[in-house]
Amino acid sequence: MKKHLFPFAILLAFPFVSNGQGILGGNVTGNFQIDGQTSKLDTVIGSRNLPEQMHLNARGDILYTNGNFSAGIRYEAYLNPLEGFRAEYAGQGIANYFVSYKTQDFAVTAGHFYEQFGNGLTLRSYEDRYLGIDNAIRGFNVLYRPYKGITLKGLIGQQRYFWESRGLVRGVDGEITINETFTALQEAKTRLTLGASFVSKYENGDGVNINSYVDGFKLNLPNNVASYALRMDLSHGGFNLSGEYARKGADPNDLNGYIYHKGEALWLNASYSQKGFSANLQAKRVDNMGFRSVRTDKYKETLYINYIPSITKQHTYAFLSMYPYQTQTSGEMGLQGDIIYNIKKGTLLGGKYGTDLHLNASAITALDRQGIYLPLVDSTMLDAPGSDGYTSKFFGTGDLYYADLSLEVAKKLSTKVKLTATYGYVIFNPVTEGHEGDLHHNHVAIADLTWKINRKNVLRFETEWMGSDSKYDANIDDKRCGDWIMGLVEYNFASAWFISLSDQYAYHDGIGNYYNISVGYTKNATRLQLGYGKQREGIICIGGVCRQVPACNGFSFSLTTSF
Amino acid sequence: MKKIFYSLFACLFLFIAGCDKIEEDNYLIYSGSSVQWYNGSGVADKSQRTLLEKYTGVRCVNCPTADVAISAAQQAYNGQLIAVAIHDSSLAFCRPIGNSPDLRTEDGNTWSVFFGISSEGTYPMALVGRNSVASSWDIFTPTSNIESHTDAALAQNPSIALAVNAAIQGDTAIMIDVDIEYLTSRTDSLTLTLFIMEDGIVATQRQPDGTDDENYIHNHVLRDVITDPWGIYINDGRSDSDISANNPVAAGTKRLGKCLYTAVHHDWILSNCHIVAFVSEKSSKRILNVAECEIE
Repeated sequence: MKKHLFPFAILLAFPFVSNGQGILGGNVTGNFQIDGQTSKLDTVIGSRNLPEQMHLNARGDILYTNGNFSAGIRYEAYLNPLEGFRAEYAGQGIANYFVSYKTQDFAVTAGHFYEQFGNGLTLRSYEDRYLGIDNAIRGFNVLYRPYKGITLKGLIGQQRYFWESRGLVRGVDGEITINETFTALQEAKTRLTLGASFVSKYENGDGVNINSYVDGFKLNLPNNVASYALRMDLSHGGFNLSGEYARKGADPNDLNGYIYHKGEALWLNASYSQKGFSANLQAKRVDNMGFRSVRTDKYKETLYINYIPSITKQHTYAFLSMYPYQTQTSGEMGLQGDIIYNIKKGTLLGGKYGTDLHLNASAITALDRQGIYLPLVDSTMLDAPGSDGYTSKFFGTGDLYYADLSLEVAKKLSTKVKLTATYGYVIFNPVTEGHEGDLHHNHVAIADLTWKINRKNVLRFETEWMGSDSKYDANIDDKRCGDWIMGLVEYNFASAWFISLSDQYAYHDGIGNYYNISVGYTKNATRLQLGYGKQREGIICIGGVCRQVPACNGFSFSLTTSF
Repeated sequence: MKKIFYSLFACLFLFIAGCDKIEEDNYLIYSGSSVQWYNGSGVADKSQRTLLEKYTGVRCVNCPTADVAISAAQQAYNGQLIAVAIHDSSLAFCRPIGNSPDLRTEDGNTWSVFFGISSEGTYPMALVGRNSVASSWDIFTPTSNIESHTDAALAQNPSIALAVNAAIQGDTAIMIDVDIEYLTSRTDSLTLTLFIMEDGIVATQRQPDGTDDENYIHNHVLRDVITDPWGIYINDGRSDSDISANNPVAAGTKRLGKCLYTAVHHDWILSNCHIVAFVSEKSSKRILNVAECEIE
C-alpha cells in the first residue's frame, strides 16, 4: 500500500502546469501540512527522549477537477509518527486516491471516499488528522437521484487500516424530502425529510477460535452483520425536530467482549431559534452499538463503520476541555440542553453593546444492565462471552459517566475591548477512559479579554482556574488531577504575526508545570507556527471520539499551505 | 417510476444478502479444548518443582531488578523453580508505554485480585507455590529473599508427579498432554491448571532510573490461562464431591489429561512459548507440583 505507483501514473498522464491552474482545461487545487516535534525526558510530566530526536507527520492533498470529472491523491508521511499516533503509521506513501464523475442526478466514485448516512449511526466514513483517525472506504460509491427530492446512495469497499485496507462494508441509503417530491407541498411552511439506511459487513468467522464462557466451547460467529436505521427531520418556522433510530444484529467482537446482544441506538434533537435566542435539547440512548469491520482488532479507534454523535459540548478552553467525554459505544444514556440568549443593547443588563449568554448542561450515564441466567453453567453472568451478555431496561440508568454545566457571558466593554467570563462545573467518571477511581468534581472559572488596539494589533489575555476534589496518585498516574491555574497572553500584530505565552500550573494536589511559547506567521494561505514547551499527558476528543496524548517536552512546528 | 423500482430492488437484494441470523441455541460450538481424562501410564520424573508468580508491570521501575534476581534464582535451582510474569489488566503500573505491546491479561487480574496483589499497591510482588503464612498469602518483593520462599515451597515431600507435552496441530491449535501420578493418597479434591507463556517479547519497560528502555526483553510472560483460572478437577471417574477420607484417591493413581487449545493469538511466536501445568489443592490453592514444556 505504501508504494502505489498507479495513482501517480494517473496524474502524470496529464501535462502538469506548476502554477496550479489548467490541466487540459481543468483546475488543480491542494494543500500541504507538515507537523513536527522534538521531545526530551522529563520524569515529572512523563515525557521521553525521542530516539530519532524528531517526529514528523506530513501530508499533501492534490485535487484535479475538470467539468464533471475529478481525481485526487493524498501523500502522507509519518517519519516517525508524532507522539500519540499509532506506530503502524510509520512510513510514507500514497494513502488516498480516487476518481469521480458527477452530474446533477448521478455521481460515481472509485477509490477512496468518505460518506455518511444520516447522523452516522449506521455508517460514517471520515478522517480527523488530529485524532489520527481515517476510516476511508476504498471501493465504489454511487449516488443517484431518480426523482426530485429523492436521493439514493450505495457503496461497497474496504476500510483504511493504517497503510492497508481491511474488512468488507456494503451499504445503501435512501432519503426523501417530501416538500420537493410532492409539488403541492413545495411552499408549505412545515418541512419534512425521511430517510433510511442499511449497512452490512462481511468477515469470515469460520475457523476463528474465540473462547466462550463454557470451557470447551467456542463462538459460532456470524459472517455477515447488518445494521439499519430510520430517520426524520421535521421543521416548522423556528422549530426543528429530528431523530434517528438504529439497530444492529448480533455482532460478537473484541469491543463488546464477544457477546451476541443486539445493538440499538436512538438519537433525538429538538431546537427552536429566533433572532437573539436559540434553545436546543438533545437525547440519546446507545446500547452495544459499536460497529467495526474487523471483530478482533486490538485498537479502540480503528475500523469503525458507524459513529455515535456526541451530545456533550465541545469545550475550547483548556480546563473545561481537560476531561473530555469519550462516547461509550458499549452503552450510555444522555441528555443535553443548550440556550443562547442575547440581551439587547440599551437595556439594564445589555448595556451599551448588548450581552451574549450561553448556558449549556449535559449528563451521561451508563445503562442499567443485568446479567442473564445461563443454564450451561447454572449461574447468572454479566457479559459472558458467547451469551447475550445482559438485559437492560430502556429507561434504566446506571452509574454517572459525565456531567457538565457551563455559563458563558460575553460582553463588549467598549468598541475595542471584549470580555468573556465563563463558569463551568464538570463531573467525570474515570471508568469512561478504562480505569477505575472516584468521580472527579471540577469547578472552572475563566476570564478571556480581547483588546483590539487597532486594525492590525490585537491583544488577548486569558486566565483560568480549576478547583478539583481529585488528587494526583502515582499508582493511577492521571496527571490532570489536582487544582490548576493558568495564564495566557497572545499578541496578534501586523495582521500576520502572533506570539503566545501560556503556563498551566498544578498548585495543589497535582503535578506539573506546563509552560508554552509559540510564534506564528500567516501570509495568504500559508501559515508557519513554532512552539516550545510542555504538553500534558491526557486525552483529546473531537465529537466524542478520542485519542491518548502522551506527555511531550520540546519544540514543535507546523506549516500549512493551500493553493 | 421504473427507475425507482430498479433502485429499490437493488436495495432489497442487499438487505436479504446482508445479515446472518444465529439463534441463541447456536451461539456456541464445541471446540474440543476442554480437558479429556484417560488412564495414564505414570510419570518418570518425580522431582518436586514449584511456581514463582511474579506480578509485574512495564511502568514499575523496580521490576527490571526483580527480573535479574528471579533469573539468577532460576539458574540456581536448575529447573526446580518455574517463573511466570503476570501483567494485571487493571493496574496503571501495567499500562503499555506509548505504542508498546500490551502484555496485560484478564486472567492475570483474576489472580492478582484474589491474592491481594492489586490491593497491596506496590510492585513488583511475588508468590511462590501459592503458600500462605498465618492465614495470609506469602507475597513478597522478589528483588531479594527468593531463595527462602522457594526453599519453603520445595521442602514438601512430593505428593504429585506430573509431566506436560505440547505439540502444534495445524496452524493455530496446540495439543497438550498432561501425565499425573499420585505419589501419596489424597483425601481432597485436586485441580489442574494450564497456561501458556512467552519469552523474548520486546516491549518498553521503565527502568530504575526512570528512563524507558524500548528494547527491553520480557520473558515468561503470561499470555493466557488455558483452563479455568482456578483449574479443572482431575477426574478419576468419580465426581469431585465423592472424594473423602473414606473414599480417597489412592497412591499410584495415574491419569492422562488431553487438551486441544485453539485460542492461539496471531501475535504470539509459538517457538518462544511454553506450556505450564500445575496441580493444586482446590480448597487452599496451594501448588503441589508444576511442570513446563516447549511447544514442539
